[in-house]
Amino acid sequence: MQKTNTITSIASPSTSVRRDWLTRLGSGLGAIACSTLLHKHASGAWYSQEGKQGPEGKQGSEGKLGLHHAPKAKHVIEIFCPGGLSHVDTWDYKPELERLHGTPFDAELGKQTFAGVAGTHAKSFWPFQQRGQSGLWISDLFPQLSRCADDLAFIHSMQSKSALHGPAMFMMNSGFIQPGFPSMGSWVTYALGSETDNLPEFVVLPDTRGLPPGGTINWGAGFLPAVHQGTVMQTGGSQEVIRDLFPARPINPDDEEKGMKLLQRWNRQHASNRESDSLLEARIASFELAGKLQLSAPEAVNIGNETAATQSRYGLEDPDIGPFGKQCLLARRLVERGVRFVQIYCGAENTSQKAIRPNWDSHEDIVRDHGYWGRILDTGASALLEDLKARGLLESTLVICTSEFGRQPFMQGSQKGRDHNPGAFTAWLAGGGARGGMSYGSSDAIGFKAAEKPTYCYDLHATALHLLGIDHERLTFYHNGIERRLTDVHGHVIHELIA
Amino acid sequence: MPALQGYKQLIVGIFTPNSSDGILPVIVPMKTPCGQICPHYLYTHAHRPETHRAEMNALTTKAPLTITMLPPSQQFFPTPNSRHPQRHPLLLPSISLCAWILLWNAVGFAQDESPDATVRDLERTARSIFRDHCLECHAQSVTEGGLRLDHREGLLSGGDSGKAIELGKSDASLLIARITASDSSRMPPNGKPLQVDQIEILRRFIDENAPWGDEPLADPRLNHWAWKNVPPKIDVPDIPPDTKATTPIDRFLVDAMNKQGITPLPHATREALIRRLNYDLLGTPPTPDEVDRFLNDDSYDAWERLVDQTLASPQYGERWARHWLDIAHYADTHGFERDQRRDHAWPYRDWVIDAFNSDLPFDTFLQHQIAGDVLQSPTDESTIASSFLAVGPWDFVGQIETPSPVIKRLARADDLDDIVTQVMTSVCGLTIHCARCHDHKLDPIRQSEYYSLTAIFSGVKRGDRVVSESQLQSIESKRQKIKTQKDQIDQELLQLTHGLSLADIVGGGNGFGTGKLGAGFDPNTGQVRAPSEKAGFLDGVVANRLNPTNSPWIDSVFVPNGYLPTGSADAPDTQVSNELKISTTGIVTTCIPPTDSKVWDAIRNGPVNSQFSTSLSDTECSPPGHSILALHANAGITFRLKHDELRKAFVNEQQPSDPPNPQSFVFTAKVGYFGQTPTAGADVHVLVDGNVVFKRLSLGRNDGLQDIQCELGPNNTFLTLIATDAGNGISHDQVCFIDASVAPLHAEKSDGKSSQDKKDRIDALRKNSDSLANDLKSLPEPKRVYGVKAETPTQTRRMHRGNPEDLREPVKPSSVSCVGPILSDIAILDEQSTDAQRRIALANWLTSAENPLPARVMVNRLWQHHFGKGLVATPSDFGLGGAMPSHPELLDWLAQQLQTSGWSIKRIHRMILLSDAYQRRSSGSNELAATTDNQNRLLWRQNPRRLDAESLRDAMLCVSGSLNRTMYGPGYRDFDYQEEYAPVYKHRVFENSDVFRRSIYRFVVRTTPHPFLTTLDCPNPATLTPVRNTTTTAIQSLATLNNAFVLQQSEQLENRIKREFGDNPEAQARHAIRLAFGRQTTDEEIASGAGLIQEAGLFQLCRILLNTNEFVYVD
Repeated sequence: MQKTNTITSIASPSTSVRRDWLTRLGSGLGAIACSTLLHKHASGAWYSQEGKQGPEGKQGSEGKLGLHHAPKAKHVIEIFCPGGLSHVDTWDYKPELERLHGTPFDAELGKQTFAGVAGTHAKSFWPFQQRGQSGLWISDLFPQLSRCADDLAFIHSMQSKSALHGPAMFMMNSGFIQPGFPSMGSWVTYALGSETDNLPEFVVLPDTRGLPPGGTINWGAGFLPAVHQGTVMQTGGSQEVIRDLFPARPINPDDEEKGMKLLQRWNRQHASNRESDSLLEARIASFELAGKLQLSAPEAVNIGNETAATQSRYGLEDPDIGPFGKQCLLARRLVERGVRFVQIYCGAENTSQKAIRPNWDSHEDIVRDHGYWGRILDTGASALLEDLKARGLLESTLVICTSEFGRQPFMQGSQKGRDHNPGAFTAWLAGGGARGGMSYGSSDAIGFKAAEKPTYCYDLHATALHLLGIDHERLTFYHNGIERRLTDVHGHVIHELIA
Repeated sequence: MPALQGYKQLIVGIFTPNSSDGILPVIVPMKTPCGQICPHYLYTHAHRPETHRAEMNALTTKAPLTITMLPPSQQFFPTPNSRHPQRHPLLLPSISLCAWILLWNAVGFAQDESPDATVRDLERTARSIFRDHCLECHAQSVTEGGLRLDHREGLLSGGDSGKAIELGKSDASLLIARITASDSSRMPPNGKPLQVDQIEILRRFIDENAPWGDEPLADPRLNHWAWKNVPPKIDVPDIPPDTKATTPIDRFLVDAMNKQGITPLPHATREALIRRLNYDLLGTPPTPDEVDRFLNDDSYDAWERLVDQTLASPQYGERWARHWLDIAHYADTHGFERDQRRDHAWPYRDWVIDAFNSDLPFDTFLQHQIAGDVLQSPTDESTIASSFLAVGPWDFVGQIETPSPVIKRLARADDLDDIVTQVMTSVCGLTIHCARCHDHKLDPIRQSEYYSLTAIFSGVKRGDRVVSESQLQSIESKRQKIKTQKDQIDQELLQLTHGLSLADIVGGGNGFGTGKLGAGFDPNTGQVRAPSEKAGFLDGVVANRLNPTNSPWIDSVFVPNGYLPTGSADAPDTQVSNELKISTTGIVTTCIPPTDSKVWDAIRNGPVNSQFSTSLSDTECSPPGHSILALHANAGITFRLKHDELRKAFVNEQQPSDPPNPQSFVFTAKVGYFGQTPTAGADVHVLVDGNVVFKRLSLGRNDGLQDIQCELGPNNTFLTLIATDAGNGISHDQVCFIDASVAPLHAEKSDGKSSQDKKDRIDALRKNSDSLANDLKSLPEPKRVYGVKAETPTQTRRMHRGNPEDLREPVKPSSVSCVGPILSDIAILDEQSTDAQRRIALANWLTSAENPLPARVMVNRLWQHHFGKGLVATPSDFGLGGAMPSHPELLDWLAQQLQTSGWSIKRIHRMILLSDAYQRRSSGSNELAATTDNQNRLLWRQNPRRLDAESLRDAMLCVSGSLNRTMYGPGYRDFDYQEEYAPVYKHRVFENSDVFRRSIYRFVVRTTPHPFLTTLDCPNPATLTPVRNTTTTAIQSLATLNNAFVLQQSEQLENRIKREFGDNPEAQARHAIRLAFGRQTTDEEIASGAGLIQEAGLFQLCRILLNTNEFVYVD
């Protein structure tokens, strides 16, 4: 918890380093902010909204964590695998499928699937083994994650209300299959605010290949104030880290500083002629905060000072694994620096191309596509978990890994792939107060439908909020006649998942 | 604390998660109108406590209160089963929403145990059973079987089957027989039978002689203010003669202020007023000249004339259409996963602009939007208006693509929900969507009523349509006539000229029509592609590799790229290759420009997959009559000119004498760019034996069709066609050669008479054909719009818990009964009613004099956009969950003015704008008002406002002088578009003035919101947005400082200042400040501004000005 507006307690650049930074940034806006940083405490809340004070915890930089009860987690990192990760090839061991392998699936039931053609039962394309002390079953697609088995809490009975990528993505992110509702990251930051003034509270790291199905509204704030929408940080390297962080054309740092000084002087004059208007003050403060962001964001994404061992652990040098590894490494760095909610996408939007799919949507060839994406997820996610653990951050950081739905236990027609399965899939939690090495709920014998303790995203969300100290039924926002909730009118905290 | 008379008080403090100032106590009268503790009352006000703050203050000062803290979940209402027999579903959930509940001096909770009380309890309980289980069919609005169970008289007089009850004899009562029946006569007919204890209560009720007071059983929620009719006469308050109140509006407001002892602030300065007026009405700032004119206007009615003049500006419609489109959640794409374009959504947007500008009466405005396409004689305008129902999001995958009927039914249910929700929230302020899964929890709206409303729209499907069928038919019949003539001529021409069709060859044919349409060759492999093998981007492309084909006429195909990696470290990828092989015999060329080596689909006989269009310059180029040889850049194809074969081909096909043995041939074609980009599309090269014979660079859609004609001599062996992407990526670089053919060259010197006759004939035919082609071209395009495609309505059934797979009883098309009486034309609707009958009935119901909501809701919206906040703070929720009006009489008076003045919106604007209230200063000292009415509910001052995203963008364009004022038409697109399974939209900054139009003309993409505008709180069009959020964030400040658009406009402003005001820094500063702020400048400001210009340049000053609070806020 930061009160003194230093950038962060971990790996905090010294004052002189920060000054160097300024020089490199070449930005006078940074200079304004920096003088604030060095000489006095900035007053501002991160944002303000007309006619309404910010949620509790916004005032000042202190942030009261846990609205309703003592939290176990302070931060969330969510790894989202868009396209539909096949549970039966990965986390959800189904020996019955081995027996049924090659036999036709129920023709009538099979008609209800997205593509509408059910082929024969298909066992996992990767053998399963029991892992760790807890003996959780995980397939050989994830050799490295298997080493983390005792930290993982599986929910095997997840379901979705849609078999379509767009609506199912929206559902997993916002609890509704329609677009336009606030995402979980927005709700969490709306409730808890930020731990830092220097970085956005909710950061999204999209796959470098592009946006996921449904686009940017997956991390939209819906009807919540815009400040709670996810801020995209580009990790590809060629683009700016945060959109508009620096001027779109070069501006001399001295010019920038002079301009900013005049801007703020005029703004103060303007405000002084008006009865104390907090919005005018807030906007003046927002320019100072913008300056802080200019200092902090490039520092946060500069992985140059990570050790060679760390870089190698995240697989950064591998052209396929590297981009996701970098997203995972950045997530750790952002959480270290006080970012409340980080969402990482492991996969992009579908395209028409016939090569390896750009996400987990393996209709034609499970081995080709899950084989490709499995290596990526395996390396990045396991590195993240081990790194967080080694740094003592896993206890306070809830890691969630999910997809929008699973895949069918049968082949899609005569292809070598599997169709969408909203009836059952698996998500897992780790750290942040989740009980490692356990499984909750189950799918039926072949992984077609959730069987024991069927679970929707509502329960996953309710549990995550609970770990953050929030009662999901009491986190509400009035919109068009309804006090809206992330969990709509549903949701139960899954206490079994909590350590 | 003693209870206040007539009430028992329960005062609870709610500590909501988002209230920063701590505990806000709220009064909840124990005795609400229903005689019970009404949970929704608590629920509602707990979450917007400011509505009851005055009452609170009054109360808490009277007596100190004891405070008991209860844990949130603890039940503190008395015995809910007896007091709240059935219908208070909110009781527990709503309370648990509150973070803490403080119970202050809770008195009188113990139940009254007197005998009277027992009878009253019985009465109350029995009534609630009737209400919950019977009134859906047996009440004033619906009397199934002639029976009404909403008053005692109804029970006694009975219905078609006789008396419902025998007083004192439950065993002999038909009612009991029916509710306990085990056959199909059992009541209620749907759902579960009544429970044993409920039946027991009704028995007791009958045996006790049906204790039921005089009042009919009415849902107390029906007394809610918003459903009541607007009173026919509303008195404008009298105020003391010494109080200034210019207009009736002011008398309402001042009257309320007088009661609090608050004096309003005086009028703002004229500079502030004209700026406020311009932003409010037009969304743009006044020019310095306009400001001066107003400042120097000494006449007594200067303001009035300014208001009238501004209201008459066409920009008014552009501004106010924005507000309406927010609540219609208009966009130019579908949304969801496959967010495809709606290229014809814009006519609706234009219609809204026109409707506001022409002051279309508001009732017509609504009627046409609900049913304009199915009126007895629809006009183009009314048809376009009905697109209102269609402009929301729509899921292509769920509606069309998936073969799963389950998924389709869900998508359709969501679709109808979107339509019903949009109509009812925007027009009536009714949150009808809450009743999709269960009866509305706050408002008296039954779940069945929700489905009755979806039944009204069950014939409504969305899609592209022609605006007028008759226009389409008349154009089509003309087109058909011309086409028939032209086909005949073309047929003869073809026979006379008889070239070898290269497209046909690409389609695997012999050049004379045996090829398959749609077939082609993969430019990366030379493999044949069947028509069914449609592809997108090809994988594993190897540029500049020559791929021979198996066609006798096609030597090879290839993917060209002028960039070849040189492999040298200091200059990678920069060298243009010298020689690219284009034939298997080793012919090379150096003409090929650099490309990105990507290729889409195959070289086809016909359009490529997802080709933007097959027509260009109004010529439809698809067969019959024409052939298309399509290359999606980058691709190249080399044809083999086997002269012997060619000669044979023509000799065989023709009269032996004519001409006997042609030596030379001619290649003719028209080439065009059939992608979407208007300019700078693709490069096209035609080579003969490696020599360029035709070349067009940066061919775009605007360039139309280019003629190619080149002679192929006896020694020529290869003809090569190459299309490349002109370096702009290949997203839509679709190049097509139209009617590409090789034919014998009819040498002029060939002197036979027949040959001359033939040439004349060909010329004449060509002329005819061209003229007919021109006729075709000049036929107007039928007007199209994305709107309603009406179908025959299907049966609607209630969906249990909103689940489309759990259908229950059928429901008739109808509306909600809580708002005035259901008019006869809605009441007579049934399952057989047509789509037109249904929607017209609803439109009439909405705009009838008995429906008070549309007028109230609309005047409140007008008020909201003039004062920043509505008289009702929840403009799309006038129900029990919404806010109470701050000035109920004023709201009604305005609604009445709207209804009785021919529904003129502009008239209401005018009344508001001419009021003192509108013209007041937005800041100034008034300590009393600042303490007692900090939120300015009483409007003792005007509310300052920040420009919304679109106004800020428009203001920058205005001030910089680059605003393009072109009205109407397709939206400007400030993104790069890429056709994909899920289309890709990448927003960026453009330099051409096409995109400098007002933001209302933006092509709005749903899944990829505009990054700059979204940061500035522009809402996502997935959401119905009655009130925009105004947030202030660091990310916003970064955007306004650094975004390429702002820097571009800063530069434009810099150029403008230099152009208009020369080089003197003081003059530059004065005018820049004046343009930005619309006011005179001070010497100090000029000095500071000039100082910055000298130190950091004029550009920096311009950029700073566009970032100042004074620029982005309106006083």
